[in-house]
Amino acid sequence: MSSTALDYSKEISVIEGVPTAASLDEAIVKPINEFPQRNWFIGLAITGTMLGIGGISLAWLLWKGVGIWGINQPVAWGFDVVNFVFWVGIGHAGTLISAILFLLRQKWRTGIARFAEAMTLFAVLCAVQFVIFHTGRPWLAMAWLFPYPNQHGVWVNFTSPLEWDVFAVNTYFTVSAVFWYIGLIPDFATLRDRATTTIKKTVYAVLSLGWRFSNRHWQHYERAYLIMAGFATPLVLSVHTIVSFDFAVSVLPGWHTTIFPPYFVAGAIFSGFAMVQNVLIITRKAFKFEHLITMDTIEKMNKIMLVTGTMVGYAYIMEFFIAWYSGNATELFVFINRAFGPYWWAYWTMMTCNLIAPQLFWSKKIRTSLLASFILAIFVNIGMWFERFVIIVTSLHRDFLPSSWGMFIPTMWDFGLLIGSFGLFFTLVLLFVKFLPAIAMAEIKAVVPGAQPSHHGNGAAH
Amino acid sequence: MEPSNTNNESKYWRSLRAYHNDPSVNEDKAREFAKEVTGDFDLDSMSPISRKQFLALVTASAAFAAAGCSSYRDKGQIVPYTKKPEEITLGKANFYASTFIDQGQEYGILIKTREGRPIKIDGNPDHPINKGKISARGQASILNLYDPERLKDPMFVDSGILSKSTWKEVDGRIVASLTSAVKEGKEIAIVAHTITSPSAKKVLNDFTAKYPTAKIYSYELFNDLNRRSAWTKSTGGSLFPLIKWNEAKVILALESDFLGSEGNIAEQTRMYVENRNVDNAKNISRVYSADGTMNSTAMNADYRLRVRPDQQLEFILALINEFKPVGKGSIKEFAVKNGIDASAVKQLVKDLGENKGKSIVHAGNGLPESVHIAVNVLNEILGNSALYNRAQSGVDHVDPTKKEEWEALVTRMNNGSVGVVLHWDSNPVYHFASDLGYAEALKKVGAVVTFAEQQNETTAVSNYVLPVNHEFESWGDHKTRTGIASLQQPVIDPLYNTRQKEAILLAWTTGSYAVTDYHDFMMNRWEKEVFPATRSSVEFKTFWFSALHDGMVTVNEPAAAVPSVKSDALNSVSTVSVSNDFVLFLHDNYFVGDGRYANNGWLQEMPHPASKIAWDNYAALSVATSRELGIDEGAMIEVAVGGRKLDLPVHVQPGLADKFIAVMLGYGRTVAGTVGTGVGFNANIFISKNASLSPYLYSGVTVTKTGEKYNLASTQEHHQLDDTFLKDLHKKREIIQEGTVVQYLEDPKFLEKEHHATTIIPKIKYDGVKWAMAIDLNKCTGCGVCTLSCNVENNIPVVGKEQLGKGREMAWIRIDRYFSGTSEAPSVSNQPMLCQHCDNAPCENVCPVIATTHSPDGLNQMAYNRCVGTKYCSNNCPYKVRRFNFYDFRNEFNDGYQYQQPLNMLHNPEVTVRSRGVMEKCTFCVQRIMEGRQHAIEEGKVFDGSGVTVACQDACPADAIVFGNMNDKNSDIYKYRHHEIGYHVLEEINVAPNVTYVAKLRNVETQTEKA
Repeated sequence: MSSTALDYSKEISVIEGVPTAASLDEAIVKPINEFPQRNWFIGLAITGTMLGIGGISLAWLLWKGVGIWGINQPVAWGFDVVNFVFWVGIGHAGTLISAILFLLRQKWRTGIARFAEAMTLFAVLCAVQFVIFHTGRPWLAMAWLFPYPNQHGVWVNFTSPLEWDVFAVNTYFTVSAVFWYIGLIPDFATLRDRATTTIKKTVYAVLSLGWRFSNRHWQHYERAYLIMAGFATPLVLSVHTIVSFDFAVSVLPGWHTTIFPPYFVAGAIFSGFAMVQNVLIITRKAFKFEHLITMDTIEKMNKIMLVTGTMVGYAYIMEFFIAWYSGNATELFVFINRAFGPYWWAYWTMMTCNLIAPQLFWSKKIRTSLLASFILAIFVNIGMWFERFVIIVTSLHRDFLPSSWGMFIPTMWDFGLLIGSFGLFFTLVLLFVKFLPAIAMAEIKAVVPGAQPSHHGNGAAH
Repeated sequence: MEPSNTNNESKYWRSLRAYHNDPSVNEDKAREFAKEVTGDFDLDSMSPISRKQFLALVTASAAFAAAGCSSYRDKGQIVPYTKKPEEITLGKANFYASTFIDQGQEYGILIKTREGRPIKIDGNPDHPINKGKISARGQASILNLYDPERLKDPMFVDSGILSKSTWKEVDGRIVASLTSAVKEGKEIAIVAHTITSPSAKKVLNDFTAKYPTAKIYSYELFNDLNRRSAWTKSTGGSLFPLIKWNEAKVILALESDFLGSEGNIAEQTRMYVENRNVDNAKNISRVYSADGTMNSTAMNADYRLRVRPDQQLEFILALINEFKPVGKGSIKEFAVKNGIDASAVKQLVKDLGENKGKSIVHAGNGLPESVHIAVNVLNEILGNSALYNRAQSGVDHVDPTKKEEWEALVTRMNNGSVGVVLHWDSNPVYHFASDLGYAEALKKVGAVVTFAEQQNETTAVSNYVLPVNHEFESWGDHKTRTGIASLQQPVIDPLYNTRQKEAILLAWTTGSYAVTDYHDFMMNRWEKEVFPATRSSVEFKTFWFSALHDGMVTVNEPAAAVPSVKSDALNSVSTVSVSNDFVLFLHDNYFVGDGRYANNGWLQEMPHPASKIAWDNYAALSVATSRELGIDEGAMIEVAVGGRKLDLPVHVQPGLADKFIAVMLGYGRTVAGTVGTGVGFNANIFISKNASLSPYLYSGVTVTKTGEKYNLASTQEHHQLDDTFLKDLHKKREIIQEGTVVQYLEDPKFLEKEHHATTIIPKIKYDGVKWAMAIDLNKCTGCGVCTLSCNVENNIPVVGKEQLGKGREMAWIRIDRYFSGTSEAPSVSNQPMLCQHCDNAPCENVCPVIATTHSPDGLNQMAYNRCVGTKYCSNNCPYKVRRFNFYDFRNEFNDGYQYQQPLNMLHNPEVTVRSRGVMEKCTFCVQRIMEGRQHAIEEGKVFDGSGVTVACQDACPADAIVFGNMNDKNSDIYKYRHHEIGYHVLEEINVAPNVTYVAKLRNVETQTEKA
């Protein structure tokens, strides 16, 4: 919006207008220091209810066993693993935005980085619960999946992709959390300084680790942030690669595919951006952050979705092609069965949402429309959930021996936990925007026009 | 049994000093260590808390801590024998020979007991009839012994309510009723099933002598009355002869399921497979099945002719015409008219003509008398009476009661001239034709006494309910064949306040109520009647114990003569015009029998061999008929015949005859306990006393759609056979590989292909014992006895209909059934599928916690304790043979039914009972392997794997399963492993399975193979 005529020699401003540092702080801290709006409570009531549904579903699950779900032989993984892969995928946008885009000096990321990182953590939390609770005996799985010396003399199986998962997801969560926290330290200090009550002051003081905005602090901070970005970058690629190994390492047609790692990573970024887009648009509207998160940022997000969506679509078609080209009749069967078997609707939902829907972003009008961006991002989220459903369920339900074929029919408890995971995610998001700065205050000041020294003098005055 | 010495205070002493109460002993005992044991520490200065006290404190505090947060079930106490019974060694199984009677068929059995509990039944290898194999019901019957819902005390109706009583009380009352019935000249009717026991017969005789108005009636729901009466009409003889199936080159089965549900399955299957030996391919027999129901025999037949039961007479008369013109239609016309494959019919005529005296035509029990007469005539014409066994025949102790006699009984009951009815372990209220009016007539009888193991429809309307022993708690003898006298011995004390049914009658006869009465009575009879016939030189006691040990004795005894068929036998047969209406055929099911086993979850959970539906019966319709009616699988239809109506769910069965409804009997019990009540639909209501053709066959049936839907639970999906996408996948994927006998004789290596399965990973060498299995698909009939045997051996729970429908059945070995060809004439392939114990097992590398591993002798193992239940192993198993405990199924099924006492006694103590959330699968009966290894070690031998058998192998009536050490070049498994037509399923994914399947050879002429 800021640039109607395209002039590639000039950088598009990350934020609109030339706000002062104080007004930026004011705008960002406002939701934290004010008593929340009515809408926030309505939102929390809804997500809290969803979380409650999840809680009940979880309690029932622990009481009865995984039999309350629709899984069976042959489809031993259902919504549980679908949701796991879905949420881990969602978690990819945050680190990509905050680490890779940081290293690539993509300044437009500044407004959304904090947000996306928080979502990463929440999404990984959602994913982790499925890793634990999809097992038959979660109380043992929580301990036995880790290699620890024990008197049984048994060790974990390092050849199992599920074990790789344990490490990949844990590393990812830890690094993301540390990275996020480091970024938050200067902002905690700002919050401490602006706190209105003693409790807040104390809490933020503890969290800010004695930050005093000294030059020395800033130097260490910048260095640490860069190192952490370097740490996190390979994880963006490795986590979903390893998640894809959960499938690719198996012998099952439809899973046993070498294309999975890049395909999964692209899909993860695709879905992650879509989820960030959704949450972003709502927050931007609710907290009146329009000048900090500009349409230009949203458009760039849409472009990434267009790219990754096309990559995913390419993978869908390539899988099909290879199934035919390989001459493996069983694999070809699985793919034809995906498209035209009993779960055809899931397949075509996936294709429509993931391959066709993002192609609309070729149109500038659509990708700069707030409403269209929001709706298409929802489509992508749905499509990416179905992608995992298609991969897991349709491959399992008709595999090698026709005698063992079956159908997976989800039960209310399957949906209960799915709703619960969304409840957990959005509840955490709501708490996040209430108690923590949704936009990195310290960072955003650096991208205010004129904040950086420039030979043009005041950068904004072209 | 109460230990006899509970009142005595224990007086153990460790030394003579202790015995004499030397005070120094007490002082020493108070201390942990004797003085001077060690000089390192001063005993007196140590803490007063001894090591034992310390440990006790630690454990007690741990227990208190645990008690606060644990609701773990009380596991009771495990106490070793204080007095070791002479025969029992802890941890060692004892085997007792006995006899099991299944719908009048006799099976010699070996009962395995552990610490006094029977836990497994297998055939007695020495028994000449069944030679070590038993029926499905025999395998599962152990569950009935421990069924928590067995009747536990005698009961009688006191002021309108059936209430618990004592034997003394009911004995007194019933004897009074019996005496007064005799006094008043009223009849005492004893309604029993087939009586197979000579001693029981003697008890009945004595009873009748004491109470002269007593009359004995006997029946079976599935009976061969039509065959019997046809035999009498054809030959004048009374007993249909036994058939030498093993000598038949050609078998034509007419709606006769001799491989599935009719007759002595173990014996017939054994005789049939004698001629299905690949290594004697030249002599492989040929089986034709002309049937409408798609039964087990039809599934195994080389040629199948789709003939509806009401067309059988026309068919067989036309067939007779081919050999001896009687002017009753031509076979070609018949084939054309009924759309039967003409080339198959032509081949049949050719084969029967070429194999005179070496073939057998056999009609099923359900077919009308006229068909049986025609079949007798045809066998006579073809000289097939040579295959009638003249050395041995069946034995009847009590003639089966005829229809007219039942009607007379009901009339007398209604007249009030019947004083007492004794249902001697029978359930006529459920079994009898609805229009016989038996249940109503019972109301007019003063005393209705029902002997039963479990409640049933008849106990519900009785004045007296007498709980009887399970067979494994009872003495008995049986004689169903000439020359063989079998013994039945109890292997456990009666679990409840029950008596065996013979003993009750005996007591009422003699007035003596001692527990051992019947045993003495039986032994006495053997001493007087059986012992002399054996011309044994030993004294009776020795003979008796050796007979008990063996389970039976053989005696020289002439068989009943086999008279020849009268030349005018066909005159009484008139052709019935085949109607265009629907025809209803009622037939035996494969597992729950006449309903007696309805409360047996294992049997209910066995899928039907053709439909793979469990926990239900249904109206099977052909594909064409269902399309014509516009109904699908699971739609409810109302089937009506002569005013008798029943709503049934539809199962669309490929291969079924058109315009034909096949329904299994034995379901729809209304009073059968928690498991059995309300399972399926009671099709007995269709049975009419006035059935013109056969009690099992009705024409003029109307079918109406009700618009309702019903959920049939099946272990295999049903596909349309004409769906090109799904068609014949099992053949395309080479899961099923087959050939023909001709093909094999021409080129025995016809299946061999060049394999290119290469790997860069070096193969692991198995130098010692390496376990492997082979399954000969030529022999496997798909009967499912292996599954039941495995269930019992490996403590596999019942999951129930709902869970089975969801695809969560727990059976470790299943029979996969594949249809190929058209939906009218499908060709069926059965394949037992179990864990293949792959060398490169894909399940093993994906388990994150190493819960499934490979043993040095080639077993794919499961460590249940380690399993956390990620289920990845199951997903990655190409055979989908892994089974997951989605719930604690024992708790989940019928509100913890399987946790009730005494079902815990059923478990094999050598096999872990798996908890919720744990994966399980076939172990190749690792407990048996370990036992074999242990024996070898004890005896100081090198363990070469010989002598170890697995449960499915032991049970297989066809001996289709071979198991052993494939590194032992002398073993059977070695031979099968390298068989020229042996193959591995899904060889191409290089998981290197250790189960070899020997390809089925169909004995068809090559030109008709594709038909």
